[in-house]
Amino acid sequence: MISRLFSPLGKTFAVCCILFFVTRVMANQESQPLNTVAENSVQWQQTLKAAQGQSVYFYAWGGSKAVNDYLRWATREIAQQYRIRLIHVKVTDPSEPVSRLKAENGRTSAIDLMWVNGENFAYLKQQNLLLGNLWSTIPNSAFLAVDKLPIRVDFGEPMDGLEVPWGIGQFNFIAEKALYPTTQISAKSLLNIAKANPKTVTYPRPPEFHGTTFLKQLLIDLTDADPRLYQLATTQAQQELLPALWQYLDLLHPYLWQQGQAFPSSAAEQLLLYQQKTLSMAVSFNPNQWLKEKSTQQISETSVRRYFTDGAITNSHNLAIPKSAPSPDAAKVVINFMLSEMAQQKKFTGSWGDPAVVSSLFDEKATMPAHPELHSSWHVLIEEVWQQRYGG
Amino acid sequence: MAATIRRVRSSARIRQIALTSGWLLVFLISLLPILGIVVGLWPPEQVTFADLKPFLAYQGLSVSIFMTLFSAIFSTLVSLYIAFMVYSQYHLSQRLQSFEKYLAPLLSLPHLAIALGLVFLFSDGSLFFVDPGLPRKGLSTLILAIVIKEVPFFLLIFSAIGRQLPIKYWLLQGKALGYQDYRCWWFLVFPPLLKQSRLALLAAAAYTLSVVDVSLLVGPNIPELFAVSVYRWQTSFAAGDQALAFWANVMLVILLAVTVFILYAHEKLAHGACKSLATQGSRFYLGKINPIFTAWLPMLGLLTAMMVVVFALWSFGFNWHSDSLVLTQLTTKLWQDEWLFFSLPLQNSLLIGFFAGLLGVALALLALELQRQKGKYWPDYYWLLAIILPQLSMVLGWQIMHIWSQGGYHSGWIVLSHLPFTFAYAYLVLKGPFLNVEPRYELLAASFGYSSWQSWWQVRFRLLLPAVFTAFAIAFSVSISQYIPTLMMGAGRVTTITTEAVAIGTGTQQDLIALYVLLQSILPFMAFFVAALLARRFRGSMGGNSVRDY
Repeated sequence: MISRLFSPLGKTFAVCCILFFVTRVMANQESQPLNTVAENSVQWQQTLKAAQGQSVYFYAWGGSKAVNDYLRWATREIAQQYRIRLIHVKVTDPSEPVSRLKAENGRTSAIDLMWVNGENFAYLKQQNLLLGNLWSTIPNSAFLAVDKLPIRVDFGEPMDGLEVPWGIGQFNFIAEKALYPTTQISAKSLLNIAKANPKTVTYPRPPEFHGTTFLKQLLIDLTDADPRLYQLATTQAQQELLPALWQYLDLLHPYLWQQGQAFPSSAAEQLLLYQQKTLSMAVSFNPNQWLKEKSTQQISETSVRRYFTDGAITNSHNLAIPKSAPSPDAAKVVINFMLSEMAQQKKFTGSWGDPAVVSSLFDEKATMPAHPELHSSWHVLIEEVWQQRYGG
Repeated sequence: MAATIRRVRSSARIRQIALTSGWLLVFLISLLPILGIVVGLWPPEQVTFADLKPFLAYQGLSVSIFMTLFSAIFSTLVSLYIAFMVYSQYHLSQRLQSFEKYLAPLLSLPHLAIALGLVFLFSDGSLFFVDPGLPRKGLSTLILAIVIKEVPFFLLIFSAIGRQLPIKYWLLQGKALGYQDYRCWWFLVFPPLLKQSRLALLAAAAYTLSVVDVSLLVGPNIPELFAVSVYRWQTSFAAGDQALAFWANVMLVILLAVTVFILYAHEKLAHGACKSLATQGSRFYLGKINPIFTAWLPMLGLLTAMMVVVFALWSFGFNWHSDSLVLTQLTTKLWQDEWLFFSLPLQNSLLIGFFAGLLGVALALLALELQRQKGKYWPDYYWLLAIILPQLSMVLGWQIMHIWSQGGYHSGWIVLSHLPFTFAYAYLVLKGPFLNVEPRYELLAASFGYSSWQSWWQVRFRLLLPAVFTAFAIAFSVSISQYIPTLMMGAGRVTTITTEAVAIGTGTQQDLIALYVLLQSILPFMAFFVAALLARRFRGSMGGNSVRDY
């Protein structure tokens, strides 16, 4: 009785839903030039069907409880919605899957999906080890906020559909409010803070990624974001731009933690020192980590987020499928889920706090003013000269 | 008549087959490390001598190599001497005869946990910080952490060796000749003990030389320790780094060879010194500080207890640096949350550790028995290659071979990949006791008509039982602590408590790190504790051919 009463209503509702969906997809197609297979296309339905009952081994860093918890949630959702088993292979270093793919040398891989960016991606791309056309075969990649975020390029290397952005990293400080009163910091203000509060400032030892980025931010500040920083580093540009950084570091190092005779090995270690109140600042690539750490009382209530005057160096962390993955279809379905509004929303609002990369959820307030990455040649150069001058 | 001859012949053939297959098995396992390093280090891209130049020009390389070598040799030798003095204090006291069981908690905390606990308790900004305190990063902190961890290990080895040595008679003889106690120890007990613990020394030094996680946490990093550089290059795929990694690994193998050489030289020197001191009758003040070391174990026990309390409080959400210090905030929420996720890894660890440990001990006994029958023992470092060679390259080689074999990813492979390590550690524990088993007992058994197999099983093995328990406990805990082989061979299909703990350890969440440190220590703790209790029940023989052995 009840079901008969409700069935017409149900039909109307279904029609409304479809209409809504179609208009939304059309709206998206208008705003986005991305050519992507549609959610209801035959091709995607085949992918969904092929994916059922498969397992996806996802190689991802396992050091963060927030990320691990998020992936536990995603595992449950994906199992329910798509009957796919997602298994998080917790690695300590993102190079572990790269090294495995190299060892496998094209044989059927143990990896279905991996969390990757930067030099590891560049290497995999150059070695031709990644599955292509991800953007055009995964429906939700149509909604990526490519016009608002620098997410088509990964450290100067075009993604070319070989990886899909999953979230955003922005370089920032987690710092004590009393010592870092202004929202933005410059190289000059940082030096003054270090002088006034010796032994409380430091950075992870380059070539640790956060440490190198810290040096890049200083270089941008000290050279007023010279346009040559975003091109291949010529000898002349090196000679004109880099000395400012080394002169600055020569001034700064005596005031650093351990007088610059030792550095934290990682951003994680620096945060532990900050938690113990040995340091007045820590570095992070997650723009919302400070909020999350505060809410779980891992850091003091007076902690705030600070970023460099020219904007925070921004990059994306991405998902990729090896060419030799045993279940590429299921891996695509998992990526599609990770880009869904629900998953992106949960990633941002949950304990992880990683900003969304899809247009509908893009929020100016969730991110800081973005600054593009330097050309990768500068990255190598900074690390090499730093090692020469301070590392030995 | 003919039938008897045929029977004898066929039994001889069976014996021959058994011997051959035994050798084959031992060879296969002991060759795995060499195979691994050859395949793993095989230059993938064209590595040329031109790449040697940037490697040698790397800023701070010589200091880094020197510091690494120094810390390995120094911490090992300091641990050895401290352990010997502690052992001399405990050996003769009736009450403390079974001090092994007190070692269980010390042995079961991973190296990294000890380093973490040390800096939390005693370095800048810590609970018990007294200026200048322990440097947060420095050679002294690294060496201290290693010494704290290695002394109990050496004590355990001494105790396994000592059970089969007629130490009491030596001391009695020494006293009869008018030597004081401490002189007897140094001149009569130390030389044989040093010789028989050579394998343990090699293992400890090789560990310190190539350890990455502890070096990253408390080691100096201007310049960084060599093992850290090697690890960084090996895991980097930026242009040129793989070539650097190749030469760095070659360098690491050279350093390991140098370490082996220095330890052998030290042994020779120490023997010479003991001999000349004993014969010249000159004064020997150094030996007199012995009694101080009675306090070592209680102090270390206290330290361990403090660390465990700190970790436990962390895991219950206690925060030393929050503004309000109240114990009522403690909660078991994290334990409840994680319970679902750590029970399976814990179970996997237990099973893999059990089988890898058992097989490792069995193979070590087999290798020793085969060598005894042949009457010739191979050089020690050959059996310890799995511990001595750079682990990352070696396991990479296994991974490549495993992928060639296309054998899937079940836990059998993981047991196999742990086997070279458990075998090597079991061998290093068992060799001393095995050599010292009193041969007269077996002779006696043979005269009673026992077959050689019966006499081996019922006499030799029975006498070795305490050492076998110790060997199993060490092999088991070595298997539990393996991260690289478990991940690289298991490809994430089989998670153990260590794969979880190591991944968590790279993060920032203290409560979770502490929880996994405790979980990681539980299984080894049980193994060491039970082994100590059992070893006490089955005492070994005293006396034997050891006297003429050196």
